[in-house]
Amino acid sequence: MNYYEIIFYVFAVLTVVSAGVVVFSRNIIYSAFALLFTFTGVAGIYVLLNADFIAITQLLIYVGGIMILLIFGVMLTTNVTNVEITTQTLKALPATIVVAIVSALLVSTMVSTKWAVKDPISVESTTINQIGELLLTKYLLPFEIASIVLLIAMMGAAFLARKN
Amino acid sequence: MLTQQILDGLSKFYPETILSVTILVIVFVELFFKKKTRVSGWIAMAGLAAAMLFTFLQVNIPAQTIFFQMVAVDPFSYFFKVLLILSGFLIVLFTFLSDEIRSSEFKTQEYYALLIALTLGGFLMASSVNLLMMYLALELSSLSSYVLAGYFKKSNRSSEAALKYVIYGGVSSGLMLFGISLIYGICGSLDMFAISAYLSANPVNLITLLIAIFLMLAGFGYKISAVPFHFWTPDVYEGSPMPVTALLSVSSKAAGFAMLIRFFLVAFQNAGHPTITTEGLHQYITLPGLHWPEVIAVIAVATMTLGNVVAIWQDNLKRLLAYSSIAQAGYMLLAFVVVSPQGISAMLTYLAVYLFMNLGAFFAAILISNKYKTENIEEMKGIGYRSPLLCVSMAVFMLSLSGIPMTAGFIGKFYIFSALINNGYIWLAIIGLMNSVVSLYYYIKILKNMFLIRPQGDTGAVSFGAGYSVLLLALAIPTIVLGIFFGPLTKFAEYSVQIFGLK
Amino acid sequence: MLNNYIPILILMLFAIAFAIVCVFLSKFIGPKNPNPVKLSTYESGMEPVGTARQRFSVKYYMAAMLFILFDIEIVFLYPWAVAYRKFIPNTVYYALIEMSVFIAILLVGYIYMIRKGALNWD
Repeated sequence: MNYYEIIFYVFAVLTVVSAGVVVFSRNIIYSAFALLFTFTGVAGIYVLLNADFIAITQLLIYVGGIMILLIFGVMLTTNVTNVEITTQTLKALPATIVVAIVSALLVSTMVSTKWAVKDPISVESTTINQIGELLLTKYLLPFEIASIVLLIAMMGAAFLARKN
Repeated sequence: MLTQQILDGLSKFYPETILSVTILVIVFVELFFKKKTRVSGWIAMAGLAAAMLFTFLQVNIPAQTIFFQMVAVDPFSYFFKVLLILSGFLIVLFTFLSDEIRSSEFKTQEYYALLIALTLGGFLMASSVNLLMMYLALELSSLSSYVLAGYFKKSNRSSEAALKYVIYGGVSSGLMLFGISLIYGICGSLDMFAISAYLSANPVNLITLLIAIFLMLAGFGYKISAVPFHFWTPDVYEGSPMPVTALLSVSSKAAGFAMLIRFFLVAFQNAGHPTITTEGLHQYITLPGLHWPEVIAVIAVATMTLGNVVAIWQDNLKRLLAYSSIAQAGYMLLAFVVVSPQGISAMLTYLAVYLFMNLGAFFAAILISNKYKTENIEEMKGIGYRSPLLCVSMAVFMLSLSGIPMTAGFIGKFYIFSALINNGYIWLAIIGLMNSVVSLYYYIKILKNMFLIRPQGDTGAVSFGAGYSVLLLALAIPTIVLGIFFGPLTKFAEYSVQIFGLK
Repeated sequence: MLNNYIPILILMLFAIAFAIVCVFLSKFIGPKNPNPVKLSTYESGMEPVGTARQRFSVKYYMAAMLFILFDIEIVFLYPWAVAYRKFIPNTVYYALIEMSVFIAILLVGYIYMIRKGALNWD
């Protein structure tokens, strides 16, 4: 086990454990804050994959932005602490079976599939150059459409959140 | 090279560009000239008309991709552009004429901008040949429809509809994104042609591919409200403002179908060349061993059966139309099982017909709720005697939706079933026919209440303004005429099966 | 390439260690003479009543949304700025126009927010 792997497992454990807290915590604020660690862990994994730009984006937008939005969203709710999350039908056994089957299926495909692995290319010191170039050439249209999607999303959210 | 590509792309991208500019103009007008309430509606119409004009200019353009293989300009996307603009146009008119909207301190504000955004999203969904672009287009149209569904902020029903829609939409698009990532993992590309080339040249793990297909189907199925992704439909249709419901049931659904057809035909075909069989019919070849048509068949049967059976129990007209639209999606999916141009052209024909009859049914429902303040079928007793024109038109739409001969709906169903029978799916055709018979029951139930029961209490005639009648007739007449002179429509549909990269 | 991140890793470790050490240091070396007055929430202040958690105003949410909008814009600006040089001299105007369109559309969103009073606090 070299030290890359150790770092990978540190981030992986951070991600999985905090994601578990998000799901299982009874206090919605704890869930929201645990998500912070999930996002950070994922950012760490991006770094290990040499996806430096994505890692920065993850930190800036998810950890810095979406998290704040989420926490404000949580604060907007009336009863922040001790929300009794009750469902009328807690079918633990069938749910466990389904989850087990689905995860077994996913894990087995993950192991058995021959994924398209790109040839090891000499990575430049940063991917930002290439991403910037692709944004303005090959991915120009998605890039511009993204701004319209953002505009609509913002308008819609502002419209629904406004009082009058 | 770069400049040429971009300029060339822009010159074939006018309709979309115009719609984008229209969105921005509407936002500005709403911000700075708030007094006139209808101005943005007229701007929306002007934008749609201009987009229509520039779409018409593309009629004989050779099929090609633009913007570095992001979107395709081909007869197939042309068909859907025309359909979406037509539907958008009618919805703007519906909005003008709906009392529900006029009475409820409705502020136009973002409404028309969102409507155009949904249309723009539909345009891009119909023409994307890259999964990234496709997903972005899906999000654009979904985001605007979430807000539109909750447009009556003060109505609990409307807010509930929006919330349900967001949650279902979020989950489905998340699943779809996972599916896209699996496909990217297998093929190493998001480009549909590259995916097709990779899959036909390399052996792949079919189980992984099937999982990816199922996950992708979650996204498509939610857009077209196919079982088992239909749960949102009745609640959202019931809670949304009626013109929005009409929009969701036609524009959103049509765009979803376009995306579904293009993705499956282009990405999962073998090497991209359909073979010509002896009868002159050609057949798209699907990847050997990958049984997606069978998956679609199961979904189609489940969708139409559930839609029809549950619709029987509905008392609320909007809910009934919601289940009916689920069932209609089932019929259209049925034609997709026949992976051949004949099946696709039957689907397109049905979609065009569905535009008129379904929008017509919703417009009639709007008028009924305007004048009689009810959505309950039981309370519509005898209104056929009070507003004959409205109810006769409603009868036309209902009979057409159930597929009675001499209506457009019959032509649509006829082409679907003949495509099925020609290709040996007789049992599917039989299930479809049985479903049509079941559907007749609840469509007729509405007509029975309208015509066969004498009105109680107030029996005065209720008439409408000229504008209402003209629009009603503008929808009812095509529904009948297309049932008799269907030649041009089916020709157009047959021409429109040309998808770039196939044939 | 990953070696570039070693300083960040070290910084992270230091940050975590510093936080832990500070918490425990005051626990171990600080003098403790508790009495009821010292243990009250505000010594020689008002007794707090009720929970401190209240519903936030929706205005915070609007502000956060604006923040995300510009956050995303910056994320896109960054690679554009880095790659800009590659477009000199032939296609530099394209690079400029492409970004201007993107910013212009988001600017409409910004103007929308201002006109709708999202930035007014009352």
